[in-house]
Amino acid sequence: MKRFLIGFLTGDLLLVLFVVAYLRFGLANVAADAPTPAWETRWMFSSAHASIRRTVPHDLKSPIPTSDETLIAGGKLYLNDCVGCHGAPGKPPSDFGATFYPPAPQLARDGTTYSEPEIYWVARHGVRRTGMSEQGSSYSDEHLWQLAAFISHITTLPPQVRSAIEPSAGH
Amino acid sequence: MKTFLLGIVSALVVLPIGALAYFRLGLAETRSDARPPAWETRVMTSAVRASVRRRASSIQSPPPENLDDAIVAGGKLYFEGCAGCHGQPGKAGQDLSHYPSVPQLWQVGTKYSEREIHWIIQHGIRNTAMSAYGPFYSDKQLWALARFVRRIDNLPAGLLERIQAKRPPTAKN
Repeated sequence: MKRFLIGFLTGDLLLVLFVVAYLRFGLANVAADAPTPAWETRWMFSSAHASIRRTVPHDLKSPIPTSDETLIAGGKLYLNDCVGCHGAPGKPPSDFGATFYPPAPQLARDGTTYSEPEIYWVARHGVRRTGMSEQGSSYSDEHLWQLAAFISHITTLPPQVRSAIEPSAGH
Repeated sequence: MKTFLLGIVSALVVLPIGALAYFRLGLAETRSDARPPAWETRVMTSAVRASVRRRASSIQSPPPENLDDAIVAGGKLYFEGCAGCHGQPGKAGQDLSHYPSVPQLWQVGTKYSEREIHWIIQHGIRNTAMSAYGPFYSDKQLWALARFVRRIDNLPAGLLERIQAKRPPTAKN
């Protein structure tokens, strides 16, 4: 039993040393313009979602109603600050968002599997080791909830909301 | 001896499974509005440096050019495309929004060589907010940016004024 434990600790030590050496010798490719392997994307996205699901307080709920006004207000914020990476409704996906590693999710094209409180959480706190910075210091809570409402409906927007946020439809 | 080896093999199996479970169960913190611990910054920074050094060593040197003009051209590109995250001159501050934090180049300068800066701008840095700018800049522009960023905290006299001037003196021709 003692021998087994010594072996176990040696194995742990070897693994850690191996990882440190791998990093220290510069063998890990850090280029962001290589395609992300599908398994890595799946793995990281599901891990991030699991962590967010775990951290978001269970009683967190939007304090504002999901009305057309809310969606329009959120849509305007989205078109100002988020489109650059996450894509605009009805437009081709963002070239800029694709240059990140991991690539920015194309919300306008693909929608999201996140719930509204989870979107609020991500926008407010950001996601570590991605291009997603925290927005809590630049948006009020109300704006964050408007954004969350808009993003959770981004692929199923009512036509009147769609036309209200399109810049050309402003007059 | 046999039990010792069995111990090693078990560790090699258990540790990766533990790591996978840790992620899968959502135990890894994802919020970016916190600062990385010092050890993490040290390990990651040195891993990135080593990797960039290894990969940038094969980059061809740029064609000879007027250094000051290149720095000025690079500086103008910097103010258009990089200053939003990497900072403006004379404005102290720390980036608290990204994880890891974006280096505030005017304050900390850079330890990377021009070649390495060229590589970083072109390819970006994985798992940070530094995206790849290769599709958006020509090679000449990448070198100009690299020349500028290399000297950002120690610019030759007069160049910052030329960079920030509305029109460069040579704009006529």
